[in-house]
Amino acid sequence: MTPLLDGSAQGIAAAVKGGVASAVEVTEAALGRIEARDGAYGAFTDVLAERALVRAAAIDAARARGERLGPLAGAPFAVKNLFDVKGLPTRAGSRINRDLPPAEADATLVTRLESAGAVLVGALNMGEYAYDFTGQNAHDGPSRNPHDLAHMSGGSSGGSGAAVAGGLVPIALGSDTNGSIRVPSAFCGVFGLKPTYGRLSRARTFPFVASLDHLGPFARSVVDLATAYDAMLGRDLDDPAQTDVVPMPSVLSLHDGIADLRIARLGGYFARSGEPCALEAVDRVAAALKAERIVEPAEAHRARAAAYLITMIEGAALHLKRLQTRAKDFDPEVRDRLIAGAMLPGAWAVEAQKFRRLFREQTLALFKDVDILLAPATPCRAPKLGQKTFVLDGKEMLVRPNLGIFTQPISFIGLPVAAVPVWTEGEALPVGVQIIAPPWREDLALRVARVLEREGVVAAPVAAFG
Amino acid sequence: MTERSFDPGALVDAAAPLLKLALTPESRAQTILHLKIAAEQAELLLSALIGDEYEPAPVYQP
Repeated sequence: MTPLLDGSAQGIAAAVKGGVASAVEVTEAALGRIEARDGAYGAFTDVLAERALVRAAAIDAARARGERLGPLAGAPFAVKNLFDVKGLPTRAGSRINRDLPPAEADATLVTRLESAGAVLVGALNMGEYAYDFTGQNAHDGPSRNPHDLAHMSGGSSGGSGAAVAGGLVPIALGSDTNGSIRVPSAFCGVFGLKPTYGRLSRARTFPFVASLDHLGPFARSVVDLATAYDAMLGRDLDDPAQTDVVPMPSVLSLHDGIADLRIARLGGYFARSGEPCALEAVDRVAAALKAERIVEPAEAHRARAAAYLITMIEGAALHLKRLQTRAKDFDPEVRDRLIAGAMLPGAWAVEAQKFRRLFREQTLALFKDVDILLAPATPCRAPKLGQKTFVLDGKEMLVRPNLGIFTQPISFIGLPVAAVPVWTEGEALPVGVQIIAPPWREDLALRVARVLEREGVVAAPVAAFG
Repeated sequence: MTERSFDPGALVDAAAPLLKLALTPESRAQTILHLKIAAEQAELLLSALIGDEYEPAPVYQP
């Protein structure tokens, strides 16, 4: 079963459909691997063995009846623990939320992946209330980077990145407010997709910053990433921010290549501040794509500042009552940022939202001449666990809030991004690149990612264990 | 009139009762640190030329 678990969800689905392996056998093997390896990775907070085996048995029964199985038939997946899972309190990385009653229904995206045949095997570790780029959690311990256990997984969807990189599941779901899919994708060396704001339903997930929150998949292959994304498309009136646009599946055009795409890299802000490895990764991707053009977004530094302030202020508003009544139960590193956010002038939040409109107009203008923009995902490789500061641009900064300097300006205006992992010979840890597309064109970002994967420029291998 | 410098400690001490927040000394010190960082970010943001005609985008529509 090892080749199947180390392979793709597509490989598992083909094996299940073809009778090479049953969904129950795959699920048992995945549960066994989680049991054997997750003590080292810290990716899971809840393992749902009984539920998973019941679901897998239902898939096998459907096959036995001759029914057509979904594109992810029998493929295990897991979700960041801010997704509602029926029967579990939605902890969102916190101690406080464990006192909530168990969720009465699954999040919409869980239901949709299961409808495609995937099997939910558990819930995943995350930074408290998603206010985190490190993957560390004061209550559950850190999710560790499977490629070097002394290093961060990245966050806040740290368990999602670690579970996929560690070969525990081929697909995981996470959330991304300022970079929480793209940062762990980059650090753990897996593919991640942050769709357009308003594209995928967020119904029955615990929020952080409503005006910036996105959900999306992680995977070790671009086909899996696209298949999971396609399976989750569709209108859901339970998410008030979901936009009523026609779903655009990505799998059918995934192998169409890039001959018709104009690709440029972002300069200016996105070419400064990063360590050489982060910028070199963009060089390699750009060279492979023959993207020689550089375009400069006018005010990315201000976009990052505005996203930073909106996050502090909206996040504080969400948590104010809990800060008043249960301050000691927060992770102190999260609590004190939220408290500071509660004290900021309301005028700053309004100005930040006004600037958001301006920056959107400026950035969308870039897409008149290009179809895809490239940028680093993070300013560095994964720092060591516990590292508090690093030096960027000659200035010592806090690690936790600053790992997202390149992701924040992009999610600030909701653009879709595929994060792809780039490896350097002799280095244990990868670094990530953002492939940024115009609104609603996730399909274009995925096409580019697929070309890079096919040409061996990017890859997401399972980490060696033990 | 002399421009007064920002005193984050004074803000914390004044705003905490308004917000009904009780801070430990450690929490107060970290909150001050985060207010300083926020003030730097705000200075960047507020130096932008944003016209009165720009309505805010409380929910971003791509």
